[in-house]
Amino acid sequence: MRFLRNLSITIIIAMLFTSLTGCSGLNTKAESDSNSDKQLIIGGTTYTEQFIVSELLATLVEEKMPDVKVVRKQGLNGTMVVHSAMTNGDIDAAVEYIGSGLMQILHKDLIRDPDEAYKVVKDNYHDKWHIKWLKPLGFNNTYAMVVKKDYAKAHGLKNSSDLSKVASDITLGCSMEFSERPDGYPGWKKAYGIDLKDIVPMDSGIMYSSIKNGEVNAISAFATDGRIPEFDLQVLEDDKEFFPPYYAVPMIKEEKLKEIPGLEELINKLGDKINDKEMMKLNAKVDIDGMEPHEVAKEFLKENNLI
Amino acid sequence: MAVLNEYISFIIERSDQLLTLTGEHIYLTLIAVVIAIAIGVPLGILITRVKKLSGFVIGLANALQAMPSLAMLGFMIPILGIGSRPSIVMIFLYSLLPIIKNTYIGLSNVDESMLEAGKGMGMTGGQLMRMVQLPLALPVIMGGIRISAVTAVGLTTLAALIGAGGLGQLIYRGISMVNNKMIIAGAIPAMILALLVDFVLSLMEKAVTPKGLRK
Repeated sequence: MRFLRNLSITIIIAMLFTSLTGCSGLNTKAESDSNSDKQLIIGGTTYTEQFIVSELLATLVEEKMPDVKVVRKQGLNGTMVVHSAMTNGDIDAAVEYIGSGLMQILHKDLIRDPDEAYKVVKDNYHDKWHIKWLKPLGFNNTYAMVVKKDYAKAHGLKNSSDLSKVASDITLGCSMEFSERPDGYPGWKKAYGIDLKDIVPMDSGIMYSSIKNGEVNAISAFATDGRIPEFDLQVLEDDKEFFPPYYAVPMIKEEKLKEIPGLEELINKLGDKINDKEMMKLNAKVDIDGMEPHEVAKEFLKENNLI
Repeated sequence: MAVLNEYISFIIERSDQLLTLTGEHIYLTLIAVVIAIAIGVPLGILITRVKKLSGFVIGLANALQAMPSLAMLGFMIPILGIGSRPSIVMIFLYSLLPIIKNTYIGLSNVDESMLEAGKGMGMTGGQLMRMVQLPLALPVIMGGIRISAVTAVGLTTLAALIGAGGLGQLIYRGISMVNNKMIIAGAIPAMILALLVDFVLSLMEKAVTPKGLRK
């Protein structure tokens, strides 16, 4: 029968894919090596903050090291994709968060102390992949359970534990990644012992408007997102201390640091320059005022006399 | 074979989720295609009778089809919000063109002599449409529906991006986790669904072909 024939072809193709992709991963090698100029490929994921911080790195290098060709590979779909790209040699640098490296990439247990967590991540990345974690930028972009302010008031919600009172009423909007990560919903559910009515995974950028419009009544927001104050949202404190610290840290392949002398010192100038409030402001400039990430980055670098 | 075993155990582990998502997928596709048929076929009939409209209607459907589906989904968010409603509208708009076009072509290409015979028997315009043109054009119309439905199954995977669920959700989760098992777990049921839809509709296409036209 034609249907069965098509079906078996489909399954064969699918199996071929699984066995092939199992070993290859990303195959978007940059067109490098064509000229002998030094090149630095900077990656980033899909949300605003990642565009801004990768632009910070890119613009800083472009302005201060004109002989280095900077290539941007932004909009990669999540931490895991960035990690594959780093280890495959598709990108050389990115800004990663301590908690993501610790739990999602290294599968370590939660470490609350930021300095200790940083050290574990830094050492492991060096040993395993020869990737160097530089100085943290300063802000902690943790996940935050967020509801509307008036909803929090109406139900007396302050901590994440309080969600147990309204669990059967909560539809949680979250990113695709959050719905799967060990430091995302699966772990959160276990740590808090709260089973929410429903979770709706979606593109992370539209979570905020979807809670604003009442399509979901809670979201797992990024703590440094400028839309939290703008949309009158309330962060519920992580009272069980489930989420690890997510300080943002630039990471670069060690061979690139060797190839481009002074690069490490240059990027480290960004160390401790951006606190939580400042990052929230930068994010709001893009998400609310409609500026371009590269403009925001350039403005910030100029204001801080870095370029 | 280890790969296959791993895949199978993953499916078993996730069977509840897989079933829910498949259900959502079928629901989204079905509603959108049914609406597309309910609107597309009458529109096709209308433009066969009022030829002046045909250029405009087909042109519009063509333009909709040409727009990147992801952009269309984005446009829907400010108007319809997120979830299943905007997704259904997006899939519906994409499914229109093949149905309208095939209805129009099917009806327009009915042999002139058949129409003459009908008229000679004293049929009114409506009777002619119902008893001669439509039955003769039905296989072509079904062909259009078949194309629409199969495309719609694939298109529905996009719905996951705006929180409507469906098998696309496993695919996107899989992409963000670089987990091929998860991608495949979403992709294979979607492929099977598309083939199944194609198969069932091909049977219906045969069934509605008038005896005189069967080979």
